[in-house]
Amino acid sequence: MRSFYIKRIISIIITIILITSLTFTMMHSIPGGPFTRERPVPDEILRALNEKYNLDDPKIVQYFNYMKGLVTFDLGPSYSKIGTSVNEMIESGFPVSAKIGLIATLLIVVLGIPFGIISALKQNQTIDYVVMVLATLGITVPSFVIATLFIYFFAGKLGWVPTFGLSTPASYVGPVLALAGYSLSFVTRLTRSSMLEVMRQDYIRTARANGLKEFSVIYKHAIKNALIPVVTYIGPMIAAILTGSFVIEKIFAIPGIGRHFVESVSNRDYTTIMGITVFYAFFYLIMIFLVDIAYSLLDPRIKLKEGK
Amino acid sequence: MDKNKFEFVDQTGEEKETIRPSLTYWEDAFRRLKKNKLSVIGFVVVIIIILFGVVGPYLTPYTYSSQINEYKNLGPIIEVHEVDGKYFHVSKDYNMFLLEEDGTLIERLNLNPMDRDMINKIYTYTLGEEEVILDFSYNLLPNKQGYDYDYTIEYNGEVSKIPSGNKFNKLFPFGTDNLGRDLLTRVMYGARISLLVAFVATMVNFFIGVIYGSISGFEGGRVDNVMMRIVDVINSIPLVIYVILLMVWFRGGGLMNIIIALSSVYWVAMARLVRGQMLSIKEQEFVLAAKVMGVSKRKIIFRHLIPNAMGPIIVSMAMMIPSAVFTESFLSFIGLGVSAPQASWGTLANNALSGLLSYPYQLFFPALSIAFTMLAFNFIGDGLRDALDPRLRKG
Repeated sequence: MRSFYIKRIISIIITIILITSLTFTMMHSIPGGPFTRERPVPDEILRALNEKYNLDDPKIVQYFNYMKGLVTFDLGPSYSKIGTSVNEMIESGFPVSAKIGLIATLLIVVLGIPFGIISALKQNQTIDYVVMVLATLGITVPSFVIATLFIYFFAGKLGWVPTFGLSTPASYVGPVLALAGYSLSFVTRLTRSSMLEVMRQDYIRTARANGLKEFSVIYKHAIKNALIPVVTYIGPMIAAILTGSFVIEKIFAIPGIGRHFVESVSNRDYTTIMGITVFYAFFYLIMIFLVDIAYSLLDPRIKLKEGK
Repeated sequence: MDKNKFEFVDQTGEEKETIRPSLTYWEDAFRRLKKNKLSVIGFVVVIIIILFGVVGPYLTPYTYSSQINEYKNLGPIIEVHEVDGKYFHVSKDYNMFLLEEDGTLIERLNLNPMDRDMINKIYTYTLGEEEVILDFSYNLLPNKQGYDYDYTIEYNGEVSKIPSGNKFNKLFPFGTDNLGRDLLTRVMYGARISLLVAFVATMVNFFIGVIYGSISGFEGGRVDNVMMRIVDVINSIPLVIYVILLMVWFRGGGLMNIIIALSSVYWVAMARLVRGQMLSIKEQEFVLAAKVMGVSKRKIIFRHLIPNAMGPIIVSMAMMIPSAVFTESFLSFIGLGVSAPQASWGTLANNALSGLLSYPYQLFFPALSIAFTMLAFNFIGDGLRDALDPRLRKG
C-alpha cells in the first residue's frame, strides 16, 4: 500500500515536470516573443523588457530558472499585468473559484444522486420522465447558454440577482447552476442507469425473498453498489468544473482563476498561461490522487495496485 | 367430453420451424437501430442540419459577411404601429422603419441630426416630404408616472401609443446582428463550420486513435507500456487545456488551427478504447489461426482485429462528434475560435453576449442550433450503442 502511494507521488511529480516542459517549450517557441504587439514596441523598450525578464538568456538557462522557480512555488511575474506576479493572481483567484466549484460539487451530489435513484425506482412514471428530460437538456445545452439565459431571465427580466459579480448570496445561484449543469445531469443519468442495473441483480431478489423491507433493500443493499460508477465519474467531473469555470467566470465577471486564465490567453500573457496551466495540472493530479484513495476506502474490492 | 372434438396431431409432418433469415452483425445492428425511434429522429435532425448548413446559404440573398447598415439589431418578430394607413416599427436604438402590412421592411426613415431633440426626447424623422414624430420621453419619467406605453408615434396628425401587433420579419427571419448581417445566413454558415470541425476532427481522431490503440494493444509488453504511459501523461490534465495551449501556440484562430488542435488531443480516448478491445480480441482463436498461417502483423491488425472492434469504435465516434461541436463552441466562446467574419455557433453566441439584455434573439438561434445538434447526436449515439454493443443484446 505504501509503495503504491510513493509510486503515485513520483508519477505525479514526473507528470508535472513533463507538462511544465511541454508548456514552456510551446510558449517559448511562439515566434516573436511575449512583447510582440500589433503596434510594434520601440526597440529600446523591447531590449529593456527583455533584459528585465531575463529573456536574453539562452532558452535552456531560462528553462532551468523557471524550473527552479517552480520548486519554490514561484511562477514568475505576469507579462501583461505589470507589477503582478502569477502567484498573486492564483492566490486571489483560486479561493473564489474553489468556493463556486465546491458549491457546484455539493449540488451535484445532493441533487444528482437522489434524483437518479428516485427516477430509477419510479421507472417509466411521470417523475422519471420529467427528471430524464431535464437531465438530457442539461447535457445538451452548453454551460454558456445556461449562464446567459439565467442572466437574461433572472437578472435582466426579473431583476432578482445582480447581472455580474458575487456581491450577494443570490448571485451565486447562476454561476453554480451553470457550472454544475452538465455534471449534475450526467450524474443523474448515471445513477439512474446503474441503479436500474443493480435492482435487477439476484442478490436484490434474494433480499426481497428474505422478507426485508423495501426501504432496507434499497438503502442498505442497492444504493451502495449502484454508487460505484458514480464515484468513478468524480475525476472527469473535477475536469468539467475546472474548465467550465473559464466560461462561467467570464460571463458572470467573477474574478476567479478561470477568468485570469482566459484573460491571459487573449492577452498572450505567456507566463500567466504557463503558471496557471501548471497550477491546474497540479491541482487536478492531486484531486485525482485523493479520489483514488477515497475510492479504495469506499469499496474494499478495489485494491490499489501499480499500473492499471 | 366428445372425443370427436379432438384431432390427432399430424405425426407424419415435420414440426414447423419458424426460420428467420440469418442476419450478419451489421444487418442485425441496422434492424435494431431502425426500431429505436429516438435515434431515427436523431438521424433525421442531423440530415436536416447538414442540409441547412450545406444548401441553406445558397438560398438566402445575403452572405455571411454582407452588412446592411440600415438594418442593425432587428429582431425576428417586430412590433408594428399602424398610423394613418402606414406601418412603422421603432427599434430599441430608436431607429424608425417603414414596413409593409405583412411585416416586410421597406426602408429606414431618415433622421437629421438637427431633428434629434435629446433634451425633450423627441425625434423627428422624414418620410418623403412628411414628418414622423417619435416621442419617447415617457420611458424616462420616474415610474413612467402612470403611462402604460413607452413612446408615441405621430404621423399626419394621428398618434399611435400602443403597437397594433407583432409581425414576423420577412426580410430577416432570424433577425440581424449588430453589424446588420442576416442571422439566418450566419447560423447556416455556423452550421457548416461547426459540423466541418466536428466531422474532420472526429475522423482524424479515429485514424490516429485506432492505429495507436491497435498497435499498443496488439504488441503488448514494453511497447504497450510506453505507449500507454504517454497517453496517461496526456490524459493527466483536462484535454481542453491542451487545446487552449495549442490555440495560443498557433497565435489565434482559423478553421485549420482549430481542427488541428482538436484532433491532436482528443485521440487519446479513442486509443484507450481500441487498446482495450485489442487486448481481448487478440486472444481469440481466429487470430491464432491467422498467425499460424503466416499472415503479417499489419494484415492481422487491419483485416482481422479492427473490423471486429468496429462496434464500440463507431459508438465512441458518434459520441465524439457532439463533444467536438461542444468544444469548438466553447473555444469560440472564449475568443479562440474561427477568425471574423467567419462565425461558428459558438462565435455567434459569444457575439450575442454583449447585447444580451436588449437583443436576446441573437443568442437564441445559435444556442438552439447547438442544443439541437447535441441532442440529435446523443440520440444517435445511444441508439448505436444499444444496436452495436453485444453486451446489451437480449435473447
